[in-house]
Amino acid sequence: MSHETWQEQLRRGALDLAILLTVSTGPRYGLAIIQHLEAFTDLVVTEGTIYPILGRLTREGLLEATWVEDEAPHPRKYYTLTRTGAKRLADMKTDWHAFVAKIDRLMHASEGRQR
Amino acid sequence: MNLTETGQSRVNGYLFVLERSLKTFLPGDVVRDAVREIESHLRERIAAADGAPNERVALEQILAELGPPLRVAQAYSAERAIDEAVITGRLVPVLSALWRVTAKTMIGFWVALAVSIGYTMGGAFLFLAAMKPLFPDNVGFWADNESGIPRDLAMRFPTPTREHDVAGYWLIPVALVVGILVLRSTHRYARRFLTRWRERRALASPGQFVG
Repeated sequence: MSHETWQEQLRRGALDLAILLTVSTGPRYGLAIIQHLEAFTDLVVTEGTIYPILGRLTREGLLEATWVEDEAPHPRKYYTLTRTGAKRLADMKTDWHAFVAKIDRLMHASEGRQR
Repeated sequence: MNLTETGQSRVNGYLFVLERSLKTFLPGDVVRDAVREIESHLRERIAAADGAPNERVALEQILAELGPPLRVAQAYSAERAIDEAVITGRLVPVLSALWRVTAKTMIGFWVALAVSIGYTMGGAFLFLAAMKPLFPDNVGFWADNESGIPRDLAMRFPTPTREHDVAGYWLIPVALVVGILVLRSTHRYARRFLTRWRERRALASPGQFVG
């Protein structure tokens, strides 16, 4: 596996968590979610492909989508975290912390051996 | 940025190609919603690019960041087909998703083959159960007259003379139960496979569709 492939796998694995985290602070529309992700991460490579993921998370009941017509010159589709989504996010955060802690421990052990 | 007629045509062209691509696999209302959302994204980006010296350059950059319409459509397709199968469990989406997976991986091909055999077998049992009352002398669990060993469950025309049916009308409930069990197990296995495949896909297939 090339380094780029490995990075891509990491990115894809983290994208659902990143989107749920972004929406957890309050309702956001698609572009606002993308801009938030771009401000904090480099997870978004092609903006248009975030929308199908938002659609999937909505179908899975983790997000709720609502069109707002009168806020801007054009309608915006806002996404809100549902109760199921909040629970899934909490689980994902726990898993993520546990995963990072294990890898960190492994890295420290490996660095200790090398010295 | 207020678009000129040329700029507007470019945006309309992008949305037209996206809509056409999405229409090949998504229901009309879902396509309309998706195109509306992408159009909203574009309008927002274009409005934010106010003051750009060159409309064409600014617009091309916005469209490039959004991604080619076919790639965006492909991402919708990838997210949608497997999800619908896993979430709803309906037969047609499951078969359609299996078909997609078959084309992509070797394991998908073998699973699709096994699932096809399962569905066919289950369907055949139900078919025989339904045919037994209509053709009682032709549908049966046939045993050789001499050895008396049952050999096959089948529908035979004309009625066999060297074999006899050992199941009689018991064939109906037995074939019904076996058929339903085989179909249910096959369908459950197909759905479970797609669920696992979807989970694995979230961490694999680098650079294929998403992001």
